[in-house]
Amino acid sequence: MTTFFRHAFILAAKDTQIFWRDRFGLVLAFLFPILFAFAFSHAVEDGGPPEAAPRLTVVAHEKHGVLREISAGLTASGWAVDERTRQEAVDAIENGEIEGFLLFPEDFGTSVATGGEVRIHVVVSGNHPAAEAVLQGVARAVGSRVETLALAARAVGALEPARPHDAEAMLEALRLPPLTSLEMTRMGQRRHNPANFTLPGYLTMFVFFAAALGAGAIVRERQTRTLERLLSTGVRAPSILAGKFLSGAGRGVAQLAVLWTVGVLGLSMDLGASPGAVVAVSLLFVLVSAAFGVMLAAMVDDLRSAATIGVFASLTLAPLGGCWWPLFIAPEWLQVIARLTPHGWANDAFNRLMLFGASASDVAPAMLALVVFASVFGAIALLRFRFSPPI
Amino acid sequence: METYLEAEGLTKYFDGVAAVEDVSFVIRRKEIFGLLGPNGAGKTTTIRMLSTVLAPDAGDVCVGGHSVIREGDEVRKRIGICPQELALYPELSAVDNLVFFGRMAGLSGHEAKARARAVLVGVGLEARGSEVVKKYSGGMQRRVNIGIALMNRPELLFLDEPTVGIDPQSRNHIFETVLALRAEGTTVLYTTHYMEEADRLCDRIGVMDRGRIVAVGTPAELKRQVGDPDRTTLEEVFLHLTGRSLRD
Repeated sequence: MTTFFRHAFILAAKDTQIFWRDRFGLVLAFLFPILFAFAFSHAVEDGGPPEAAPRLTVVAHEKHGVLREISAGLTASGWAVDERTRQEAVDAIENGEIEGFLLFPEDFGTSVATGGEVRIHVVVSGNHPAAEAVLQGVARAVGSRVETLALAARAVGALEPARPHDAEAMLEALRLPPLTSLEMTRMGQRRHNPANFTLPGYLTMFVFFAAALGAGAIVRERQTRTLERLLSTGVRAPSILAGKFLSGAGRGVAQLAVLWTVGVLGLSMDLGASPGAVVAVSLLFVLVSAAFGVMLAAMVDDLRSAATIGVFASLTLAPLGGCWWPLFIAPEWLQVIARLTPHGWANDAFNRLMLFGASASDVAPAMLALVVFASVFGAIALLRFRFSPPI
Repeated sequence: METYLEAEGLTKYFDGVAAVEDVSFVIRRKEIFGLLGPNGAGKTTTIRMLSTVLAPDAGDVCVGGHSVIREGDEVRKRIGICPQELALYPELSAVDNLVFFGRMAGLSGHEAKARARAVLVGVGLEARGSEVVKKYSGGMQRRVNIGIALMNRPELLFLDEPTVGIDPQSRNHIFETVLALRAEGTTVLYTTHYMEEADRLCDRIGVMDRGRIVAVGTPAELKRQVGDPDRTTLEEVFLHLTGRSLRD
């Protein structure tokens, strides 16, 4: 047993020595994720959507009277009112430009002025509950204010049934406050630091990337019969595999140490309420990546295949697994696919811990999933690994 | 002379095709035994079985009194392998390469460093041992490749085409190293495609073709099979034994 670990550690130390001399490897492992995290954190921070006025698409058949008042009230409340025809609004939904709109029917102004039944239609694209909730809220707020006017109109109508009513004049006469006044409050006093999701995303992407590309070094050793030479000196096959796994894991841990330090000190990142859980998830993801690297080396015969599959797997799993954008804003189908990737589980756990204040127990399923991924990759590596080049 | 290695009925199949079939020969202690053959003759597969890397489908090999099948660990303590590929780490220095393989062979860190210094002198690289191997010439890299095989002081050294693609000076240095090793008591199994090399170095030669040993003897004995040993070259013997048809 002592010899097993001795050989594994000597082998891992040698691989680590080679890694620190590989400039491209260092750039890929450390510099790229730092640059990406800095660039995208600032890009998201300086971006428009959180600061811009929320847009409200309205379809109205009148541009005057009560509707003009409503529009003015909404604008004064901080909304950017986007007036369109019904067809334009429907087209915009179909194009994915907007998620819904408020439709004021043709008889809206007349109904208000005559004290009739007032209706506001909320039109929402399928499966956008958040947009539906916002539009419903605005419609209710507008409706409750309009009801006051309609009530007044009914009262006047009862007194003077023969006289046509002008809602605008009635407003003025009754000295009612602006028809619509919706107070908007941004939830939370502090906006989230974008680095809290960009850095974990790029960390998972590049830890996995470095491990996947590390498979090429193992394949090269097989091709040059270096692994075979080690076997002939009395080193056991499991020691060699353990050494390769250890070196991959050691490289990943070094990446974690550097990137988390840069994130906390350089990007003011917040590790959330359970920093220990963040570290645990990170370490488990490193184990998954290291096991994947050895598995990939076990499954390919040549350097080109190792490089091609390593790059393809890394660049495919990263977006699918939420490295480039938070999974919770992704469509449902993408969230389902993310569950098939180790990146998805890791990023989901990071998001829960660092954005929503989750505890270690909340991310236990994600940690278990990462253990399963590491075990499966490791088992395949053990079963398939060859120490000699194909005949 | 005492027998050091005895192969008996060695056989290996790959996908049902015999790469080596019923190969038997002996190597005596302190001799340089040449294993010659065209490409695909089965030389490397034979060496891999002799050195415990590949298990034979049939037959056995006895090295220094130990079976490669039943006492692999004992055999591995006694052998050193220099494959025809450069089985080393170009990113590391020659010293780091030697120390690494020495430690993997069971030497302590201190022992490995001391042995590496001695080996570097032996292969003529003592002045440049701290440079990374990828900056070396082909001949220097070949010498490091041999040096690694010497780290555990092997009693039997396998040299698989150690002089491929190097200049005459490096080749000559390797010849001198091999002859010096024999003088120190090391037994050597040497494969090469250069017939004059085998003629100059080897005490005895085994010729392989299509997975079988087709002749064994001293260079003079083999030449005598074809004609006058003073006028016949080893290359003529080789072509006589293995034919002139091209091999894949």
